[in-house]
Amino acid sequence: MPSFKLDDKDIPFEPGDTIIRAAQRAGVDVPHYCWHPGLSVAANCRMCLVELMPPPGRPAMLLDVLAWDDLHQTYVPQKKPKLQPACQQAAADGMVVKSQTSEHAVRARSAVQELLLLNHPVDCPICDQAGECRLQDYWLEHQASKKRMRDEPVHKPKGVVFGPTIVYDAERCIMCTRCIRVSAELAKDPVLSMRERGNLNEITVAPGRQLDHGYTLMTEYVCPVGALTSSDFRFKARVWFLRSVRSTCVGCATGCSSFTDFDPRNQKVYRYRPRENAAVNKYWMCDDGMLDYQRIHQDRVLEARIKTEGVSDAAALDKAAELIKGAAPQKTAILLSAEHSNEDNQALLDFGKALGALQLYYTGRPQGQGDDILKSADKNPNTAGVLALSGGRAKPFADLVAALKDGKVGVLVALGSAIGNPNDAGALKDLKNLVALSSHDGPIADHAAVVLPASSWAEADGTFVNRTGLRQESDRAINPQGASRPAYRWVQELANRLSLTLSWKKVAELRALSQTAAAPSAPPPSVPGAQASTAPGANG
Amino acid sequence: MEPLDQELDASELELPTEPMLLNVGPAHPAMHGTVRIVMELSGEIIERCDVQVGYLHRGFEKMCERGTWTQVFPYVDRCNYVSPMLNNVGFALACEKLLGITVPERCQWYRMILGELARMSDHLTCDGAMAMELGAFTPFLWMIKGREMVWEIMEEETGARLTHSFGRVGGMAAPPTEGFKEHTRAVVKHIMSIIDEVERLLLGNRIFLDRLENVGVISAEDAISLGWTGPCLRASGVPYDVRKAHPYLKYGEVDFDVPVGSASDSFDRFMVRLAEMRQSARIIEQCLERMADKGPVNVDDPRVILPAKEEVYNSIEGTIQHFKIIMEGLKLPAGEVYSYTEGGNGELGFYLVSDGSGTPHRVRIRPPCFLITAGLERVITGQMMADVVPSFGSLNMIGGECDR
Repeated sequence: MPSFKLDDKDIPFEPGDTIIRAAQRAGVDVPHYCWHPGLSVAANCRMCLVELMPPPGRPAMLLDVLAWDDLHQTYVPQKKPKLQPACQQAAADGMVVKSQTSEHAVRARSAVQELLLLNHPVDCPICDQAGECRLQDYWLEHQASKKRMRDEPVHKPKGVVFGPTIVYDAERCIMCTRCIRVSAELAKDPVLSMRERGNLNEITVAPGRQLDHGYTLMTEYVCPVGALTSSDFRFKARVWFLRSVRSTCVGCATGCSSFTDFDPRNQKVYRYRPRENAAVNKYWMCDDGMLDYQRIHQDRVLEARIKTEGVSDAAALDKAAELIKGAAPQKTAILLSAEHSNEDNQALLDFGKALGALQLYYTGRPQGQGDDILKSADKNPNTAGVLALSGGRAKPFADLVAALKDGKVGVLVALGSAIGNPNDAGALKDLKNLVALSSHDGPIADHAAVVLPASSWAEADGTFVNRTGLRQESDRAINPQGASRPAYRWVQELANRLSLTLSWKKVAELRALSQTAAAPSAPPPSVPGAQASTAPGANG
Repeated sequence: MEPLDQELDASELELPTEPMLLNVGPAHPAMHGTVRIVMELSGEIIERCDVQVGYLHRGFEKMCERGTWTQVFPYVDRCNYVSPMLNNVGFALACEKLLGITVPERCQWYRMILGELARMSDHLTCDGAMAMELGAFTPFLWMIKGREMVWEIMEEETGARLTHSFGRVGGMAAPPTEGFKEHTRAVVKHIMSIIDEVERLLLGNRIFLDRLENVGVISAEDAISLGWTGPCLRASGVPYDVRKAHPYLKYGEVDFDVPVGSASDSFDRFMVRLAEMRQSARIIEQCLERMADKGPVNVDDPRVILPAKEEVYNSIEGTIQHFKIIMEGLKLPAGEVYSYTEGGNGELGFYLVSDGSGTPHRVRIRPPCFLITAGLERVITGQMMADVVPSFGSLNMIGGECDR
């Protein structure tokens, strides 16, 4: 592999790489604002300037400059090398590049940083970006000097509403154009642009338009400073109080890798951030996914219920056990949920097996809009996982509706909150004996005889299988809310009451079980659904 | 004296022949509040004893791992709380050693003056309390009056009498006040006269001398092998003083002697402390002479020193600097360092481990008291029960520092 030298370190690169990309891959940071690995090169911030040493035997490219001489209090003519932006300069074999070790590059970065802060408002105390702001980090690393300008800074519009999700502050903006490039290149909707010149320039939305494509929050996410802020997160939390865990977005079947940012003091989730994953989402997430964290705290079932009345955990478990005992195994049905993790579904499957329940169905949230960027029409994170776990035996919800009409179902143990087709909710109404393990209010919890409050995805470790069959783990962020517990724990409690023996005791065993159960099946279809009813073995 | 139980068999009295176990402390005034000694007595002689420490353990080394480096200062204040300024300066020097910075000369002189004043406060308390525990109450009151004057200087300089939290990485929280030199000169003069008077009162007193001389003896070899430092070691004739052996700040440039004892007993420890206060006065006088009245106290390094408030409120650069130091903490480079200074009781060491973040990875303190208290058992075994009090007092065990 060809390589070049960066500050005396050998950096291998692939043909076509720029210096900064190869350096990043090798774990060496070249400071930058405008460059983003997922976007085109703009080379306008000039923060990544590096010095290229001339090839052996060739003169250096030198510029004539006037440098201030402190001793004689005057400018004297000098020469300095022409610096190159590392984000644009293609790497070449044997090239010698100086970044931190080049006195000229260090000075240039300091000057760039000082220029960027020239008109910057004193906003850190009220700015959402404070604590994760490049301007703050690079001031310390590359400038560390005081303000020299004594003039009034240029004032520009603040608090400009760009659309339903984004608020713009032109004074904080450093014109890196990342947001413009995200709109044009990721969302394919070039709705942002730059107007005016020099220190008056600002980002603007196309006339007659709003910033309202499906990836607006990515403009905020890539903003290296506090110029773009999310109206959802604005003034809600200070980032240094938040902690992060690695999670998987459960907004749709794509399963984008994300970070869940939560405040450990009040056990609330405040936002998602995309987590780089070349196999799934590259660097990005859609707006729906970014805001999906809100469901963690919305419409939650937080206490056990019998009908609509809140009861103690023990009372609900007793009642549920009584209902399940009262039905014959062949009239007992299990409803899996594509909203829930492999662990929850595997636990319920096991429970059904121990009971001898013969009817197996699955459901999830209704279909929605997809696109060809990231979003799937299937809004469930684990459809593929559920189908693989059940070995294709689970039938869709429509079959359950038919079975209910025929009076084949005596008791239904259901996981999940939503059903695929909201019009089918009426069928559940006639079912007297529905035991629900629900995290959210919805048709299943509404019509249940007993509701056991299940934890959401943010409150338990879980495994989800996305539309391409990729198994991904999502870590617990906060403690279970209210009286909720992970669904597999409820299943365990229920099994105890019914004196059933499950084949697992610990979560690790459950996870191992779900992996071996899912392994033999063929890769699941990318848009699972109707075909599942014809899968063999449903009665066997 | 003949042992009491010599004629027991022949006697009518049935005195116990078993050794008596006596527990003193931890909540006993003579134990300075925090030490427990279980003694096995034969009559009044201590046959064996067990010294137990840890009753003032607050886990503060662990607490240091939560905040920023700057937030450690209040904790070190509470180590040796009779001379907190020495701890402040010691910790600041350790951080600066890891950072590779040196504070301006004015600050070095200032730190030395405050440190020597703190040493005086330490020794005044120890010697005063020793006298009081032997029944001489007047010298105690006089010496505590002297200590009070030191604390008034501290209050004027730092705003707090006891827990100053005045040190900073790269400088001090504030420059010297205007009347500092004048005030200090007057106080030092007064303290010297107090010491002279105390000497006149005590050194001709037969009771005082009999209770201290040849009591609590420990050999120089034992003291060294136990890791003793400071006045207690020097009383055994070993002239080890960090200020002379490994000069820091400007101690290499000032003229002073290291007083040593010869008999290694409680009396020598008392006398070494008195002599050290006179040396401290010499050092302070030289420092006052050489400390500039104007000039920077803090290093000019935006990584560690907070900007002026006007800059924080009026410029983004100042705001960012302030934000970085307050919210993330100043960052010490990844690595480890051992830095040691002469504290009130001996070599006060700080062993710091930094992972490069703004939060300490480990702050380990070498408390001189802890090692000295380890020798208490050897010092008092074989002594009369009543001699425990002055012997223990002469070691100057400070619970906060010993137990941390």
